Amino acid sequence: MLETTKFGNLIGAAATMLAISASTAFAWPDGAVNYIIPFNAGGESDITARYQQPYFKEATGQDLIVQYLPGAGGAQAWSGLNGYNGDGMTIMGTNLPHIVLQPLLQDPGYQTDDITNVYMFHFTPDALLVQKDSPFQSVQDVIEAATQNPGSVIAGGTGTNSANHVANQVFTNETGAETTYIPYSGTGATESGLLGGEVDVLWGYTTVAARQADSVRMLAVATDERHPLFPDVPTFKELGIDMVGGAYRGIAVPSSTPEELRQQLSDTIGKINADPEFRKRMEADGYAMIDVPYQEMAAFMADRKAAYEKVAEQLNSQN
Amino acid sequence: MADPLSIFLTALSPMNVMLALLGVLAGTVIGALPGLSATMAIAVLVPFTFVMDPASGLIMLGAIYTGAIYGGAFAAILVNTPGTPSAIATTFDGFPMAKRGDGDLAVTLATIASVVGGLVGAILLMTLSPKLATLALAFQSTEYFWLAILGLTLIATLSQGNVVKGMIGGMFGLFLSMIGVAVIGGDVRFTAGMPSMLGGIDIVAALIGLYCIPVLINMVASAGQHLEPAPARGFRFFEALGIALRDWINLLRSSIIGTLVGILPGAGGSIASLISYAEARRASPRSENFGKGEPSGLLATESANNATVGGGFIPTLVLGIPGTPPDAVIMGALMVQGIRTGPALFQSGDGTVYIFMLGLLIATLLMLPIGLIVGRYAFRFIANVPKAMLVPLIAYMTVVGSFAIHSNPHDVLVMVVTGLIGWIAARGGYGASPIVLGLVLGQIAEQGFMRAWMIGGARGDFMGQLLLNRPISWGIVALILLTLCLPLLRMRRQAQPVQAATVRVGHRPDMPGLVGAVVFLLLAAWILLQARTLSTMAAAFPLAVGAAMAMLSLLQILRSWRGRVTTDPEGASDDATGRGAVLAMTMLLWALLFPVLGMFTTSLLACVILTMTGQFGRLTTRQMVIYGLGVLMMVSAFYLLMVRVLNIPMPIGLLP
Repeated sequence: MLETTKFGNLIGAAATMLAISASTAFAWPDGAVNYIIPFNAGGESDITARYQQPYFKEATGQDLIVQYLPGAGGAQAWSGLNGYNGDGMTIMGTNLPHIVLQPLLQDPGYQTDDITNVYMFHFTPDALLVQKDSPFQSVQDVIEAATQNPGSVIAGGTGTNSANHVANQVFTNETGAETTYIPYSGTGATESGLLGGEVDVLWGYTTVAARQADSVRMLAVATDERHPLFPDVPTFKELGIDMVGGAYRGIAVPSSTPEELRQQLSDTIGKINADPEFRKRMEADGYAMIDVPYQEMAAFMADRKAAYEKVAEQLNSQN
Repeated sequence: MADPLSIFLTALSPMNVMLALLGVLAGTVIGALPGLSATMAIAVLVPFTFVMDPASGLIMLGAIYTGAIYGGAFAAILVNTPGTPSAIATTFDGFPMAKRGDGDLAVTLATIASVVGGLVGAILLMTLSPKLATLALAFQSTEYFWLAILGLTLIATLSQGNVVKGMIGGMFGLFLSMIGVAVIGGDVRFTAGMPSMLGGIDIVAALIGLYCIPVLINMVASAGQHLEPAPARGFRFFEALGIALRDWINLLRSSIIGTLVGILPGAGGSIASLISYAEARRASPRSENFGKGEPSGLLATESANNATVGGGFIPTLVLGIPGTPPDAVIMGALMVQGIRTGPALFQSGDGTVYIFMLGLLIATLLMLPIGLIVGRYAFRFIANVPKAMLVPLIAYMTVVGSFAIHSNPHDVLVMVVTGLIGWIAARGGYGASPIVLGLVLGQIAEQGFMRAWMIGGARGDFMGQLLLNRPISWGIVALILLTLCLPLLRMRRQAQPVQAATVRVGHRPDMPGLVGAVVFLLLAAWILLQARTLSTMAAAFPLAVGAAMAMLSLLQILRSWRGRVTTDPEGASDDATGRGAVLAMTMLLWALLFPVLGMFTTSLLACVILTMTGQFGRLTTRQMVIYGLGVLMMVSAFYLLMVRVLNIPMPIGLLP
């Protein structure tokens, strides 16, 4: 008699626990979600996260708290990603080409496949920028100057082995124009480098052109179609240069995160991305929207990896 | 543009003034706690501003920022640990003042200086923004390099009479700044194969360690009070005001330096206060008192770092290039509010920016009453709390603070290890401040120089790029030469060469200095060996630093052997005891164990041990109960602050 009661209690307890765990799985998020940005505040990763914040609150009723974990071009954060609880309460910004290039070029403490990406929500297309008073009126001017006198055109960009560095290398591969690439730490520093005249051209993004408005001139943009904000700026493709790409940004979770949570997060981000208001605001700043949900991530990543591998080899041999 | 009267009325609305008040108060407290930064506080609060009117939200963020920069002075003065990097130079004279019982005066002076600096910065922001913004663009890689060198010349003045040791320390700091992935070249440098070191040594973690661990070890080494106990007296406001008024040239000069340096993106409050400190010392008739508790030094650093707040907003608002990390977060908040910073802002006719600027001015003025009241209690508290409570409290703050920077347990380990290295180095006469200067300025110097080199190479005119064609650099180089030569000139003019600094004490070799120099020589050899495996771009600076460190170490070995014992104010005072060793071990185990055991549990255990370490004499039962409750409350309060308020993810331990 006593035994059965105990047994019954046990079953009851187990059932309650199951019910609790099941309900928590569906009640995501049950508190503020930490959104770790692997870079300093003020960059594109930060600002787009800030744009998502109010929509996230609207969609889930919970706060999205942006935190910064900068260091080693993002590697500091990504190498620690899988150490967090996989309960959906900690998510992390993830950037391409960074998470592909870093493990290819050095040992950053993680492998590309260690990062569980659940959604890629936009990219900042590579753009070739000059100051408003620059003698360079077109991409052709730059190519001519850099071909006549290899290395004389000084191109700025953020970091070594970064998206900007890749763009510079692809540009050289495609056009034969050799520039001198100068790495800066952070977008802000590159902008003052361009506006102050330290560099002749800048590998930046459409977002830089949007923010700097009349102070800079964008010569070409690495998208398939012209960007809605810059209808007069040609794409590299139109100019016969096969360059489409930039820095892709998405969201990753610790590898211990269960499948259904990954899916749920992917759906939430997709919902935010579909909001016309959100899209309008992102595009007004120069971002290009993309939608790569969790199911399509494997194919997308395989495609990008193949694209970066060749460039990585070249960058590696330069060092 | 909206009309001035409505801007004025909006900025002064009760709601906005209250937000400014709350912001300054929160900022002051956060800034006073080492590791908790303005950037972090602002980032946490940004979502709340979305539901506010844009101007109100911005006023609050600006108030937190300016409060935090000011709050950094408290920890610098009372515990010798800069609460924020901006307050590094405040420790030089602030702590000696507190030590001799003038902590209340120092806090009041810091408050007055911060208000003056903040006002000058804010007024220049409101009046001359577009013109001053061009300075941000005139400063390029070359100028940043020279600016960093100017900052490094402070080593010569800080290491009073012990320049060789100071320079070795500076080289060590430069070495620390190079650890991790090189921005230029992309190589992994000096990580000894540890992935956790890829991000390099966090400046704030190292600062906390280098300044705070030696203070803690000193505290447990002797039974005396941490600070001279002070009689209950007023704010000493009029005394402080008198000192400030007599030194108005210094205040104004430092405020302007602070504003100008604040305009430079990537320079920031630490450099501003270091440079104005150096300038104040150079111009002062009491220059030999600097570093020993000279009020002018304190006035210079605190006015300069608060002036950077207004200065930093100039490029942020005018050019869309954030002047400092907190500016970057605020810029993000502005964009989310639909306000686009950059060239278009001042023509857009939007009044929000002007309301914000006025709000910043009001927040700065509010610092005066808030600072005086908070400062009075902070000083009384630190001066009167028994060591058995103060030691665990400060130790806990260092652990919590260094963890909070990036919610990364690795930073805590870095903090403790650099702190212990700093303490050991100080035993050999190698002070902490030169190391800190090297660490803070290293990356600015290296990247500035390497870029100038690459650009000069591409343009076929390296010297032109580095100096000849750059008039602003001429000015900075002139200041460098002046800073280095003036003490020599002064010495000559006095006719009686003051040899007191370097005294030859018999023929006994300076063994600790000698051992230190040998260790640094070995380190230099390792740096040079490692540099051979790096790409040219990443190897140039390590080669230079390694070679300089090797030569200086050889020179120091010679000096130490010949018995040139020098007095280093930072190194000579402490005495190793068993308690110090217990404290060091406790801190080390704390850093290693909390990711496994859990922050709360480990901290509670460590604090209990440290209470006993800091207790001198017999512990009564009553004391035991009070201390036990005190430790429990303190550990719980900060744990909850981190987890619940700041949302810092804790490592998953066995226990909470």
